Amino acid sequence: MNRKQLDLLLKTYHREAYIWARQCCAFDDEMAKDVLQQVYLKILEGKAKLMEIDKAKTWLFSIIRYTSIDQLRKSGKFLSLEDSFEIEDIPDEIDQTDYQGLIKKLPKMQQEVLLMVFYHQMTIEQSAEVLQIGLGTARTHYDRGKKKLKEIITKTQIQEQHGR
Amino acid sequence: MEDNAELKRFFENMKEQDRELDIPPFPSYQTKKFNFWIPAGIAASLALLGLIMNEPQPIPEAPREVLIITLQEGENNEQEFVIEEKAYLDVWESPTASLLTDY
Repeated sequence: MNRKQLDLLLKTYHREAYIWARQCCAFDDEMAKDVLQQVYLKILEGKAKLMEIDKAKTWLFSIIRYTSIDQLRKSGKFLSLEDSFEIEDIPDEIDQTDYQGLIKKLPKMQQEVLLMVFYHQMTIEQSAEVLQIGLGTARTHYDRGKKKLKEIITKTQIQEQHGR
Repeated sequence: MEDNAELKRFFENMKEQDRELDIPPFPSYQTKKFNFWIPAGIAASLALLGLIMNEPQPIPEAPREVLIITLQEGENNEQEFVIEEKAYLDVWESPTASLLTDY
């Protein structure tokens, strides 16, 4: 793939790439911008190479995710896998329209699978490729994530009804 | 699928909210391109210069024949000229040949 094709590909996915970078960086805009810069440089300098053109989105998302993890580690905001598996208690006060806040209540892997599937219209298989985990594991994160998010949504709805 | 309707709605609303996000413009990267014409041009100039400088000079041809005129003493003690015509290589004499004859 030559430079022009690569430029075109990155431009096509730019908006989605930024949003994904932001989601990977705990919705931190500035960190997402830095991550995206680093990702584009890695790609344009040939440090990350696209092997299969039909997997361009999966490939780009994977680079963004790993670059974000590095960035989060540097800033001391990265949680280990074990930590991220701990399900947080649903807080008493939660805003129903604070979608980012609500999704952040989920463990990291569950957040990522749900965002890829429901937000970025990817399959669970593609999500598994991005996360570099087995399909079975991805399905588990997907199912648990859905269950947990539904609980959170229901709780906020009940809170809202009681508030009224 | 009914199961996911609530979640789909949740993410659609989230997308709607994200439409207001300020997306940074796509950056333009100028990668350092190495211009191969510069070293190629220098190499070509040097090669041309070398060719001009080392133009083969015409080798002077050796004379095919030489005339050797010697003055010799004849039978009646008279001086006579002897003219010999020889091929160039025939008359070549090693600079150390005299050593063989003198000693």
